[in-house]
Amino acid sequence: MSILLKNGRILDPAQNLDIIGNVLIDMDQVVDMGPEAMDDLADEVYDCTGMWICPGLVDPHVHLREPGQEHKETIVSGTQAAAAGGFTTICTMPNTDPPLDNPALIDFILDKAASPEAGGVFVAPVGALTRGNKAEQLSDLAALKRAGVVAASDEGAPVQNSALMMKAMEMCLQLDMPIMAHCEDASLSKDGHMNEGSMSAMLGVKGIPRSAEDIAVMRNCILAMQTGCQLHIMRVSTWGTVELIRLAKHLGTPVTCEVSPHHFILTDEMVKEFDPHYKITPPLRTQIDVDIIIQALQDGTIDCIATDHSPHASYEVQAPFDEAPFGIVGLETVVGLTLTHLTHKGLLSPLNTIEKLSTNPARILRLDAGTLKPGETPIAQVTVINPDLEWTFDVNKTFSKSKNTPFDGHKMKGKAMLTFCGGEIYRDSQFEGSRYRSVM
Amino acid sequence: MTQRNLLAIRHLEVDQIEELIDLGQELKKRVNESKALPDMSGLVMGMLFFENSTRTRVSFEQAAHYLRMKSANFGQAGSSMSKGETLKDTILTLRYERLNGLVIRHSASGAPMLAAEYFGGPVLNAGDGQHEHPTQALGDAVTILERKGQIKGLKVAIVGDVLHSRVARSNAWLLHKLGAKVNFVGPRTLMPAHSGMLPGDVFFELEDGIEDADVVMCLRLQKERMNGTMISSIGEYAKMYQINKQTLRWAAPGCLVMHPGPLNRGIELDDHAADGEQSVITSQVENGVFVRMAALYWCFGGGRKKNSSEASTSTAKSTRTTKAKPKGKAKA
Repeated sequence: MSILLKNGRILDPAQNLDIIGNVLIDMDQVVDMGPEAMDDLADEVYDCTGMWICPGLVDPHVHLREPGQEHKETIVSGTQAAAAGGFTTICTMPNTDPPLDNPALIDFILDKAASPEAGGVFVAPVGALTRGNKAEQLSDLAALKRAGVVAASDEGAPVQNSALMMKAMEMCLQLDMPIMAHCEDASLSKDGHMNEGSMSAMLGVKGIPRSAEDIAVMRNCILAMQTGCQLHIMRVSTWGTVELIRLAKHLGTPVTCEVSPHHFILTDEMVKEFDPHYKITPPLRTQIDVDIIIQALQDGTIDCIATDHSPHASYEVQAPFDEAPFGIVGLETVVGLTLTHLTHKGLLSPLNTIEKLSTNPARILRLDAGTLKPGETPIAQVTVINPDLEWTFDVNKTFSKSKNTPFDGHKMKGKAMLTFCGGEIYRDSQFEGSRYRSVM
Repeated sequence: MTQRNLLAIRHLEVDQIEELIDLGQELKKRVNESKALPDMSGLVMGMLFFENSTRTRVSFEQAAHYLRMKSANFGQAGSSMSKGETLKDTILTLRYERLNGLVIRHSASGAPMLAAEYFGGPVLNAGDGQHEHPTQALGDAVTILERKGQIKGLKVAIVGDVLHSRVARSNAWLLHKLGAKVNFVGPRTLMPAHSGMLPGDVFFELEDGIEDADVVMCLRLQKERMNGTMISSIGEYAKMYQINKQTLRWAAPGCLVMHPGPLNRGIELDDHAADGEQSVITSQVENGVFVRMAALYWCFGGGRKKNSSEASTSTAKSTRTTKAKPKGKAKA
């Protein structure tokens, strides 16, 4: 069946394309795009007037929690949430239980993601950099690569030993595979629960200093510079990290980085009365950090936006702040938050917004995604966003199994309305003429 | 009858602090003169002490005893929490076991806020992590008032491990709100790196910090922290920050010496400071009982007037009934 997305604003940073026009999808492929009318070629026509037609969004940093923590999220529920958020490809992190350190587990992930009940989005697994995710001994990275991982990461278990990290980089360079680095000096962050600052001092909560992140970022950049390994820094949260990455890039280091919406919107002051919904790793920092992160998004120092979707069961979050787990869900709020807090404020152009949410993460992780160009992706990955739709996030309507977010009830402007990954996999109920709100 | 929580001094308005202090003083007088006390019989307080504590627990039990309340003790060891139950579920269980209120001590800062949310109130914070210990500060305030007559205008030095001290935070908020000048004194390693939101000035040299102080509050050093990365040795700490005959000369004449206990005698202070005329340490302990009586009475809806900013201090919902009828006997 052919589908025509009609009269939308086509935004494709990979082609530097920002035009009003139509996109025709046929036989699961984008077959044509442009300003010309193609109504007579399509079986079904969607009026996208006032909306953006973009390459499917790509999230480089998602926790699907399966295997082992299915009470928080599953591959099925997580991919459905991803489709509802406008994503067509997501990278799932390896700190599951057991960790994704062997090919059988990668097969398991890929099989589950391809099952009919899943959300229909591509899942790109990230392998555990170390065996058992213990940060002690390298995983069999070649076998993981053969099994289909797109990168290796020490997510959840930051490698403290510099010699081990250097060996990991040498190995990943040989395998032509990026390392996604969790940058945290554990000796500085140990027992910390929030940003070390005035608020932590007042609340009597052990703080995590900026230096815990900055030192690890600097070390990893130095090692990447020395080895030539492609390094992707996850979750930038401090101004110091921004400056260090800027310097490293200036020196020619093959380094990229991501930021999560909460780190360009929220600050540690919001922890206030010990609300665990604001307990995130790395912790929420200060307004200075937020301001410099936004500048870095604008000037390209920060390459992409990642949700760091980290589901936790409600009973785990309903705990004293010190005992609550780190992290929040984010797949279904990222478009609204990014457009509300960056794009509509004129801080990012629409084309740059899509670049951060799709083109750049696809490029960094060498994924077959991030563009509308016919033939560039195995099947069509297209997201339609209504940038002007004002809505309020209701966490009870999420597809995720978990509801840990500080953005429940948050008013936003901008929402993913349609997600295509081959066929239509999500259509928002607020889309005009919608028959249903669904996930395939 | 309005029920309310006592979770942190930081949340209280000045008139609420004054009301609690006045109540404590009045109740002390009544106890000492064997006069009638509020009768809160029929009420059962759950005493949830998830951290070791003797003095605070006994003090609350004694306060409850004077008010004819019953107390039911819960500790983490042997409790459902040691079997993996969450704090939320423990609190809900106690709520539906029809306890009338909770006194909670917990190693996590903010745990009493969570308890208040799920219990519905009244909940009294008996010390949470490194956050606050409000009844300690109230007892200390009564002690200062007895000796100095007022708090406004005093200079109070809080000396020692400010970083980890809930006593320091509660006292600083109370003293600041009542018009005292607060100095925090201690080594950089035991001082918050960013103290801007705490109500006091920071000094690293003892002499500078306690100069002309009317009150010196020593904080207990947790010995387990002493030989790690916090400070090089106990001996060095004592040499730099001990309150003793020599260092007390830097403070104002008649300066009070206080300590929340338990003392590390010979470390935070020497015998002269601990046992001398300037020491009010035993009064602090005694007054702790009376302000805890005041706190229990206040939380169950006693007191002279309606709370002016209840929302900031209480999440208690008035859906629960209580037999507390103090009949306004306690003047404030």
